[in-house]
Amino acid sequence: MTQASLKSVLPTAGIWAVLAVGTLCAAVAIPAFRDVENISNIARQSAVLGILAIGQTFVIVAGMVDLSVGMAAGLVVVLTCALGGGDPAAAAPLAGAMLAGGIALGLWNGYLIQRLRVHSVIFTFGMLSILQGVILTYSDISIGTPPPQLSDVANGSVLGIPAAALVLALAALAGHAVLVRTRFGHHLMAAGGSALSAERSGVNVRRVRTLAFALSGASAGVAGLLLAGRLGTGYPLAGATLELDAVVAVVLGGTSLAGGRGSIPNSVAGVLLLTLISNVLNLLGISSFVQIFIKGATVVLAMLANQIGQDR
Amino acid sequence: MTSIDREGGRLLVTRLATPLVLAAMYGIAAAVSDAFLDPSYVLNLFRQVAPVGIAAIGVTYVMILGEVDLSVGAVISASVVVCASVMDGDATRIPLAIGATCLLGLSIGAVNGVLVAYGRVSSFILTLGIALAVTGLTQVYSGGTSHGIVAPGFREFLNARLWGVVPILGLCLVAFVAVGVTYQRTSAFGRRLYLIGSNRTAAQLSGLPVARTIIWAYMLSGLLGSFAGMAMIVRSGASGTLTGQGLEFQVLAAVVLGGTTFEGGRGGVGGTIAGCFILLIAFNLVILAGLSSYPQLIVMGAIIISASAIQSRFAGPPR
Repeated sequence: MTQASLKSVLPTAGIWAVLAVGTLCAAVAIPAFRDVENISNIARQSAVLGILAIGQTFVIVAGMVDLSVGMAAGLVVVLTCALGGGDPAAAAPLAGAMLAGGIALGLWNGYLIQRLRVHSVIFTFGMLSILQGVILTYSDISIGTPPPQLSDVANGSVLGIPAAALVLALAALAGHAVLVRTRFGHHLMAAGGSALSAERSGVNVRRVRTLAFALSGASAGVAGLLLAGRLGTGYPLAGATLELDAVVAVVLGGTSLAGGRGSIPNSVAGVLLLTLISNVLNLLGISSFVQIFIKGATVVLAMLANQIGQDR
Repeated sequence: MTSIDREGGRLLVTRLATPLVLAAMYGIAAAVSDAFLDPSYVLNLFRQVAPVGIAAIGVTYVMILGEVDLSVGAVISASVVVCASVMDGDATRIPLAIGATCLLGLSIGAVNGVLVAYGRVSSFILTLGIALAVTGLTQVYSGGTSHGIVAPGFREFLNARLWGVVPILGLCLVAFVAVGVTYQRTSAFGRRLYLIGSNRTAAQLSGLPVARTIIWAYMLSGLLGSFAGMAMIVRSGASGTLTGQGLEFQVLAAVVLGGTTFEGGRGGVGGTIAGCFILLIAFNLVILAGLSSYPQLIVMGAIIISASAIQSRFAGPPR
């Protein structure tokens, strides 16, 4: 097992090397980058996308894609702020409700994709449109304030370490353990590798795939809560294109979109790399318009690199 | 029922579904509002549908191939900006503007096509990435605000109505559709689309120019996206740099409604145009009901999902 998992990680560990070299270059070239505050900021910024990428890794390992998570997180942001109204007492019930809502959405996605036999990309793309419509129908301007505890988690620190980064680290550890150590994780990889073979060797493919979507939905709930805390207001388009970033981060981490394998630590490294790039561009004062272009180019390059990785 | 009967039944259902839904939709609309019985209003629908309809022709070609093009919205935005800024309020520059805009669409399409044909990557995510890149470049080029001026006469001519009833832009749509359907039905390219879409490996092995066909389909999709952008200028002027944002959802919904599946190998331009009209009538009903335009997104998402589900039900499991 250890040897096998080592083998599956090694060819894709390149992302850590890229990340290390990138960080080193940024630290040498840009003095402002070395600032402790800036490093904490990168850690905080990575949390939202990192959590989404963890959920997305489960879905991609199962051979599917979930494009609804960005708008799902956006809906959580708007609802948390509109219903929270800055009230500390609302934090716990809202967090519970949003997490449950995320899981419910994931179960709904997973169940219907298999019941209706629709491709996951199409189904979740349709859900993206529906959720965006729901958000904008609910409110097309920023509304409300999140409960203060969420802002504390999103922007505060524990023992000098950004709390949001701790949340991400915990989620990554838990996710990694589930994917590598549990029977569910092994079944998921089997289902993604070959649904037919997995089914024949007794894996309940439908169930593990549905559960993968439930995890992805849960990640959208947590990410939305953190994002609400970060933004401090219910911005309706807060989640726009986050799903794409999450897929790109997973792909950058070396996980094949064909399914069957994947590594959560590598996905998190992919997220850190994306955040590093946008941090450096900001420090260099590159306009947001150019940044949109660079983001698109990164998506394309990551996809091409992923394909080359598969051919090996 | 024998399997042949069943197969025939399936084919019949797939063929007739879209026209029947369109007829039912029109019936409902006419029952709800007298406006749908007024020829002038109905002809105006042809004008309204033009941008999405023209763009959807190209996306249909790509989807018959079994791929998808989600960059059309960004191509439309870029075309509006480029066309207006090249025109710069000068009627003599109209041909130049049209040429430049077409070149833009063809180039973006060529990039998409080459990457899909030779990179063999998921066209869904790839074209979403290209859409982002094009949107970024459009913003950089324009500085985020519209600065072009539409040449005098351009909008006026195409918005005019022959004999006071038939909108010229509507006629343009009909012309595009006629050419699009004919090209798909009679050309070697059209036949190859279906062959490649139903079995790419077999097409490759039997010596069909797979890569060339894919690239050409994407180039046509880009070109038609540019024309859609120009139709957008005619319909609503060059008022922004994000005019086409989100139109890819409408285009995709229309194509899927028209019976062209994500799996490829079936469907066609005729069904797509019927799909466009179904969507348009649905949106007009939403507006007549006094709702904002946002619920349209919900309707569109539901249509994308349910149309795909119905198609997969009748067409058997996805390959």
